[in-house]
Amino acid sequence: MKARRIMAASLVTLLAGLAAVGSAQQAPNWPSENPPRPLQSRPVNFPPYEIRALANGMQVIVVMHHEQPEISMRLLVRAGSAYDPPGKTGLARLAASLLNQGTSTRSAGEIADTIDSIGGAMETGAGSDFTQGSALVMKDSFSIGMELLADIARRPVFAPEEITRQKQQAVSSLQVSLEDPDYIAGAVLQRLIYGSHPYGLPDSGTPETIAKISRADLQEFHRKYFAPNNAVLAVVGDVEVAEAMAAAQKAFGDWPKQTVQPPQLPEPPRPARRIIVIDKPDSVQTAVRIGQLGVPRKTPDYMELDEAIRILGGEGSNRLFRVLRSERSLTYSASADMNTMLLAGDFVAETDTRSEATAEVVRLIVDEFVRLQRERTGDSELAGAQAYMTGSFPLTIETPGAIARQVLNVIMYDLPLDELRTYRQRANSVTPDAISRVARTYLQPDRLSIVMVGNAAAFKDQLQKSGFGKYELIPLEQLDLTAPELKRR
Amino acid sequence: MMKQLIPTSLLIAVLTLAPLDAAVRPPRMEYSIATLPNGLTVVLSEDHSTPIVHAELWYHVGSKDERPGRTGFAHLFEHMMFKGSKNVDPEEHASMIASIGGQSNAYTNDDSTVFWETVPSQYLPLMLWMEADRMATLRIDDATFKSEREIVKEERRLRVDNQPFGRLSEILYDNFYTVGPYKHTTIGSMKDLDAASVADVREFHNMYYVPGNATLAIVGDFDSAQAMEFVTKYFGRIPKSTGKIPRDYAQEPPGTKERRVTTTENWPLPAVVVAYPITYDGHPDSYALHIASKILSDGESSRIFKSLVYDTGIAVSAFGGGNIIEQPNLFFAVALVQRGHTPAEAEKALIAEFDKLRAEPVAEKELQRAKNQFFRDYIVDRETIRGKASQLAHAVVIHNDVKTADDEVEIFTDLKISDVQRVSKTYFTPENRLVLHILPRSGATR
Repeated sequence: MKARRIMAASLVTLLAGLAAVGSAQQAPNWPSENPPRPLQSRPVNFPPYEIRALANGMQVIVVMHHEQPEISMRLLVRAGSAYDPPGKTGLARLAASLLNQGTSTRSAGEIADTIDSIGGAMETGAGSDFTQGSALVMKDSFSIGMELLADIARRPVFAPEEITRQKQQAVSSLQVSLEDPDYIAGAVLQRLIYGSHPYGLPDSGTPETIAKISRADLQEFHRKYFAPNNAVLAVVGDVEVAEAMAAAQKAFGDWPKQTVQPPQLPEPPRPARRIIVIDKPDSVQTAVRIGQLGVPRKTPDYMELDEAIRILGGEGSNRLFRVLRSERSLTYSASADMNTMLLAGDFVAETDTRSEATAEVVRLIVDEFVRLQRERTGDSELAGAQAYMTGSFPLTIETPGAIARQVLNVIMYDLPLDELRTYRQRANSVTPDAISRVARTYLQPDRLSIVMVGNAAAFKDQLQKSGFGKYELIPLEQLDLTAPELKRR
Repeated sequence: MMKQLIPTSLLIAVLTLAPLDAAVRPPRMEYSIATLPNGLTVVLSEDHSTPIVHAELWYHVGSKDERPGRTGFAHLFEHMMFKGSKNVDPEEHASMIASIGGQSNAYTNDDSTVFWETVPSQYLPLMLWMEADRMATLRIDDATFKSEREIVKEERRLRVDNQPFGRLSEILYDNFYTVGPYKHTTIGSMKDLDAASVADVREFHNMYYVPGNATLAIVGDFDSAQAMEFVTKYFGRIPKSTGKIPRDYAQEPPGTKERRVTTTENWPLPAVVVAYPITYDGHPDSYALHIASKILSDGESSRIFKSLVYDTGIAVSAFGGGNIIEQPNLFFAVALVQRGHTPAEAEKALIAEFDKLRAEPVAEKELQRAKNQFFRDYIVDRETIRGKASQLAHAVVIHNDVKTADDEVEIFTDLKISDVQRVSKTYFTPENRLVLHILPRSGATR
């Protein structure tokens, strides 16, 4: 087995065009030549999958993939941390962490013992929109795996001693996260972008909100949202459709259907410029996050926006990487992402740089948002982004898990199923004019939210000179992620 | 480097396994292996399930080969491989791979440096051509070198200096070893990175980045005969190196009594580490040590998790295992101590787990569970062509025997309870132990 201490190096970049003055020549007569031509390409289509449903409304996706003798199952429930009640942020996460910590038929220890003994693996978790449980098992343990997954989804008991244990774990983990500049920067930016909308609050809660969550809250979350008609099961791997459906029917078929009423959530606020510096004097590097409100996943302009943000900081193009790393050696990595959820989304640029370079880096990133909006994207730059998207398609259907993820995505976000088949064609049809249009419509570079987590003394003065003098300075020990002003009173 | 193991008699194996479910085994891989006249080892394995192909080129050089005063150099050099060669401009390697929808990257560890690409299968010739070009004709430029060094320093800040617990392995290895190749970690020190020069780059490339020190594993959708033609065409024209690669590594002398170190860091919680020196990857004892790692620390039913996290709540997180690599390294366990508990409690609980492995045989059920978890790891890794290539190349480079990629499964299958207790008694001894307490600097936490 291999050691896991590894260092990743260069990601994708564009040409830097530097002249070489020397070389390490092992082959003095090496020819000057052009790259070889590609071979004949093979047609590639989205692999077959089945979408079925049980009588109680539970949707089941089956992806058959017989290469390795393993089967994985993933159950997604349409309820996530966005449903956390006010003051009880962290509820969905805590509930998810307790699903496999005891059911009415098995103790936490028995669950762990069962899954480990068969050489399986089990995970639970919650994101903004969904809560999930998954089990990976070898082919001969398929029925045990399915039965266990159904047990933790349907019959968790939320035993008081397990709640105490998981709360203590959650609070201690937060204690570590609150010393991690990347966690802090991400959490603060979410607050700036989404305000008091639940998407703005940390999924993992805060020590204060976790303390307020009761056993009744956990039971209620489960009772209200965990129902077959509010869940989707994906079964992928070395299995036949009939076999998968029979196992799903046996484990979930008698789970009664119920009415599910999602809570009413407010609209996220309109973008407004706010700059926050979280002072962490022992930092040797500043975590920088810059972003604004974006769009929900189901949006007509999704593909155009996706490509625009890829040009800013995604694979196949990535202006930020070129400007910050290739041209100036200011960072190890720089990227921009479009995050989209059911109700809203965001555009975020992120990097980490040495303390003294903080203001310069913030200026450069904001300028790239401006440039994306003001300058027409070049044909070849857009072609580069599209070539990556379409060329990489076969790489995205290699594993059964990756195939299932794409199908689940379409179902959970209520997108046309046809999108899986037409991806490459849709990606290639976006024009530079379309990029300009969405950049003008959705980007607001003068209203970007900016977060810096680092040793403020090392870059405060420079911020003024770079045009970011109006910032709020919050010492880390005064940070309160749930307070409106983000500061402890 | 693999020693011949004495196979357990079939009868005993059947008797021991009888009461438990026999595990699903990882299917064997099909591959071919060849060596070019210039010394390049090539492993090919066809997998036509998806029209993609993965290649990884392993250079048998890592941070353990760095000379004094140049820690971090192997990894810094890895970055230089993206800065252009005769026919490929600086940064163009990655951008060309991206422009065809491929993925590429590289990593460095203590023992090896690995460059990889995954691309749509029609681009196999391009990826081989680019890898050969930088093996044969790396461009070396002082300004480029200095700017890349700044990027590596940012990488160190990002991954090590600015992260809670980021320096844990650095502190452990520096304290454990007095000599030896693993005293420093792969990222190296800022001081040594600053001391490195273009002359070092040239020397390193000439010494280590030669066909005889490289293994190319290709897995995916291709025809082996055709792939071998491309390999020969592009790599075959690189001359054989006449240099001799030094492989003499200083060994740590055996311990005489337990060592204890207490230090402070700007971390939110105290950390306790208990470490023992062990043997190398491929030594007959290494397999039972892998099993011990699983029994101690894989899953929520594992001993360390149960004892330190679930039952007592001493630790927020606790884990342990053998770092079983090319030269003898460490087996260590870590506990991040939960508020309301003490480092002394964590130390006592961790040592108790090692002592228990020495004193008592593990349960038959625990042994079988560990084996099943191993088979799972093999199978899950082999979902991807990258995972398969990595297993094959590792077998060639570290074990010097490609067959171990599959044969280790048999070795694990045959392991007995007594093997686990025997290696525990051999290695987990008090006189070899290092106990490390790393306390939050302020004494109190936020």
